[in-house]
Amino acid sequence: MIVQAIGVALIATISTWWFSHVITRTWLYPIWSGFLVGIVMGKPMEGMMLAAAINLPYVGFITAGGSMPGNAMFAGSVGTALGLVSGLPADQATTIGVILGSVAVMMWNAYMSINSLWIHMADKAAERGDLGMIRFLNYVPSFFVSLILNGIPAFLIVTKGAIVGEWLSSMPAWVIEGFALVGGILPALGIGMLLNYLGQKKILPFFFLGFFLAKFMGLSTMAITVFGAIIAFLIYFFQNTKKEVR
Amino acid sequence: MAQLQKSDLVKNWLLGYSSETCYNYERLQALGNANAFIPIIKRLYKKEEYAQEIKKYLNFFNTEPSYMGTVIHGITAAMEEKRANDGTVSADEIISVRSALMGPLAGIGDVVSQSIVYPILAGVCIQLALAGNYAGPILFEVIYKVIMLTLGYNMYMLGYKKGKTAILDFLKTGVLNEILELVSIVGLMVVGSMAASNVSFGFNVIGWTVTNDLGSVAFNLQETVFDALLPGLVPLALVLGVWGLLRNKVKPNTIILLSFLLAFITVGLGVLCGVIK
Repeated sequence: MIVQAIGVALIATISTWWFSHVITRTWLYPIWSGFLVGIVMGKPMEGMMLAAAINLPYVGFITAGGSMPGNAMFAGSVGTALGLVSGLPADQATTIGVILGSVAVMMWNAYMSINSLWIHMADKAAERGDLGMIRFLNYVPSFFVSLILNGIPAFLIVTKGAIVGEWLSSMPAWVIEGFALVGGILPALGIGMLLNYLGQKKILPFFFLGFFLAKFMGLSTMAITVFGAIIAFLIYFFQNTKKEVR
Repeated sequence: MAQLQKSDLVKNWLLGYSSETCYNYERLQALGNANAFIPIIKRLYKKEEYAQEIKKYLNFFNTEPSYMGTVIHGITAAMEEKRANDGTVSADEIISVRSALMGPLAGIGDVVSQSIVYPILAGVCIQLALAGNYAGPILFEVIYKVIMLTLGYNMYMLGYKKGKTAILDFLKTGVLNEILELVSIVGLMVVGSMAASNVSFGFNVIGWTVTNDLGSVAFNLQETVFDALLPGLVPLALVLGVWGLLRNKVKPNTIILLSFLLAFITVGLGVLCGVIK
């Protein structure tokens, strides 16, 4: 248990402390960080499915200039861990994950603010031409900031989180039903955010095409991606032939 | 004459991936950039010059660092090489070129990485994972990294070899926008299919059975009304509703609260109908 808790704490720490995006870029996303949590906790299959469910509200997740609509890193790693220790079903885990992610925006803001301290120390190191110190300041202090803000809560949730499951299951039926319903609605947020970025008027029909291909014909997302790629290629091909004719 | 080796360039490119290790609100990626340029400065300058040369990178800097923004580091490395050899490039020029490019490349890079590659991949891989297939997360990790590193490396080397004018000319041609629009079509279809398979909300809890002498008639708001009209109507309306709210600048957190409100009002009606106790 302690070893697992330490492992999850490290995953939660690294999900925010991006020591190199060659490795950590995908740790922002629950589908990967939550899967890692599942492996560490010895339940890769359940962890993977919870992580995927928690990821849904965050498919339209865009960070720009360090601002975030929700802390997907915390929701992914800690949410999956909480779901596993307290035996939550996927729809309730989605709800709990989003609540965690919304609250943990505070942790992200604290992380981004506290890290401003190190850059002033780096200014002084630069005055001396001390390149080694600059490297040290880039990598080391922010690790401890993330460890305190994300790692310790993650550790506590793995060791004490089972209470949350007991507490939830002692709730009246309407609360549990409500939480499950929220879990079904929240993916609409992530999808709506994506529409907001991609949905220019003239290509909007493709959204409806994807929707009804899945709804009426029961095609998988993979199949729809393949058809989408073919359509995009055809459009490109015909646009270019038109240009050549002119 | 000091010349950058291939290994210096590769180090500079790879260290650029640590530019958000000490991410902070004051200067965002500045400290990470200083760290990334240590190999370049060590190769090109004498020890007593380190202090003045590293300072350029401690200025406010923020771009998309993994997919497209690497081109800026490539351009900068070429400028540093020129500066060290014939002194025709000033420190201010380097700073201003970097500041001028960071905005546009953040824009393009965020579109490519966060609103195209990530959602399409996540869309497909989440479905696989929900169905209990390990290929979900593994494909996500592998394909994401292959695209990221291939684009990142080539953009870096393009920047190093062609310099800033070539890059600015390329950005102006609009080829990139044309490609992005085509990929957006795939993205939108994936988004549509996700709306169909992942949003699950209905009014099944609102219903009642009327029994009289003639027999009993069951009414269920979801099954009798919405499913009869059009399958998936409610999820589609939800997604379009959220989109409408976002377009009117409603914050995501407010939408989360509204989701709770909608769910618990529905549950409340379910309790009134006696379906939920």
